[in-house]
Amino acid sequence: MRRRKESNMATAMTGRGFIGSIYGLLQTRLPVLGGGPLQLSCLHTSSSLESKSWERRNLKVYPPQLPDEPRRPAEIHHSRRQIKYSKDKLWYLAKMIRGMSVDEAIAQLEFNDKKGAKIMKEVLLEAQEMAVKNHNVEYKSNLYVAESYSGKGKYLKRIRYHGRGMFGIMDKVYCHYFVKLVEGSPPRKEERTSLDQAKEYVQSLKSRTIIHSL
Amino acid sequence: MAMPMRRTLLTLHRATQSNLKSAEASLDVLHPIPLLLPVRTKKRYFIPPAVGLKGKSEENPEAKARAAGIVFRQQYLERPINIACTAGIFDPYIPPEGDARLSTLSKEGLKQRTEQIRQSAASQLAIRKVKEHDSEFKTKDFAERAQEIFIEAHNALTQFNKEKLHSLVTERCYPEMTRGNRYKTIRWRFVESLEPPRVVHARCPDMVTKGNLYGQVTVRMHSKQTLAIYDRFGRLMLGSEEHSKDVLEYLVIERHLINPYGRWRLHGKIVPSWAPAKDPIIKTVIIPGPELKPGQEFDALNYEVPKPAAVQWKLGFLLFEKGFWLLRHWKQQVSLRMNKLPCPEANEAASFSTEYHTSLE
Repeated sequence: MRRRKESNMATAMTGRGFIGSIYGLLQTRLPVLGGGPLQLSCLHTSSSLESKSWERRNLKVYPPQLPDEPRRPAEIHHSRRQIKYSKDKLWYLAKMIRGMSVDEAIAQLEFNDKKGAKIMKEVLLEAQEMAVKNHNVEYKSNLYVAESYSGKGKYLKRIRYHGRGMFGIMDKVYCHYFVKLVEGSPPRKEERTSLDQAKEYVQSLKSRTIIHSL
Repeated sequence: MAMPMRRTLLTLHRATQSNLKSAEASLDVLHPIPLLLPVRTKKRYFIPPAVGLKGKSEENPEAKARAAGIVFRQQYLERPINIACTAGIFDPYIPPEGDARLSTLSKEGLKQRTEQIRQSAASQLAIRKVKEHDSEFKTKDFAERAQEIFIEAHNALTQFNKEKLHSLVTERCYPEMTRGNRYKTIRWRFVESLEPPRVVHARCPDMVTKGNLYGQVTVRMHSKQTLAIYDRFGRLMLGSEEHSKDVLEYLVIERHLINPYGRWRLHGKIVPSWAPAKDPIIKTVIIPGPELKPGQEFDALNYEVPKPAAVQWKLGFLLFEKGFWLLRHWKQQVSLRMNKLPCPEANEAASFSTEYHTSLE
């Protein structure tokens, strides 16, 4: 059995390439190691490049709530793909608006000088409109930004010419922007003063248990 | 790339030679250098694609093909379409005013009850035509069948069983019933029928060609139903599951008579103009205010929200924003008083302070 596997591996190595053979090796090894479908579910089954899972979160339907349950806040997921901007530069803006209410976020982005701010503002306005039209949100100002982050898009590669006939591969960067709006007022950020932090520190020192002492 | 290499080689050569023949080296004589150009042997795994230069897309492949003598046969872009239902309700039934509002014991009520379908000659003709094609058609039991189709169609809508729904409901009616409902939960229940359903109207229009007959029969039914619609998050949007409502409906059932496999399917509903307003939705909606000229001020106290004209809806099903399968038109249901200016910026500010009251007609 082993010999056959090895010969298979050898043929695979010559055919596909080294990495492909390792993957094949892993595939044959994993079910042997673990226990069946539970362990296999940890593998990525859908390729992450074309699956738009963020948009699919908008299609989830919850069962009707009973009258005594607290009202479930509406969540709206929106994104824009392949923005011609750097993901690292967009991250700063995304981090800035996390936790803000929609109106505040839109106002901040409107008066920000970065290129990504204009795009993000459009995305937020679109999401707000979608919320009111499709997701049964009553007041469009009653939303806050729960999650907001940027992701890497598919880059185009070009040649950057250097001296002495050397060249480098230049990436034309693209990024995605994801935002999740939730109905309700923005959650209060707990403000901890330095005095509070100091008190906590002193308390942690006092509550130490000393072992092996007299 | 070659030039700098040659230069370095030259200096190397000279450096080696200088020990041996200093005289020749100092005279700066260019000796022919052996061709030892090093070639890059390490393979580059990825070379980015050359971006097309500007003068690239000038060749016309079509002209080239024609010059080469390749002939393509003419492509007929034909697609057969099967029409199994009409586009609307032809010659719709106009329900008499005050239908089901008067008790049967009063004089007017008795008059209404005795108004049978025999009155209308066109309907009689239509029924005769229908009986020609469909021998089993009987006015008396057709009404019960229509009610059964109605109940089954609505049950299929709650389960969102597409195939069953398509078999019970025509293609024209299907989008009206289901638009916007895909991500909503609908709970509908037919409690009981208050009056036996009866056929009130019939027409046999033909589409496109003369012989292509469709039969449309209007059935009046008075029943009790409960409807509750929940949005994507399980929150109640409209109606309630406990309270049932008395509903008077005029259903239009259609069948493609010539087609031997045609079935009687629900085609639409007729909503009379005198129908009472429905219950409002559990949501505040902003109605756009009047258009103001610059400098003009909005007088909130004297402003009356314009009410839509009472029109008979022969399209039937109600498209309430996202489209609900409901009885009467929704525009009458919410009336809203704006406390602030109706301009768009103030609308956002006013969205929290709008009063919401139900319309009472």
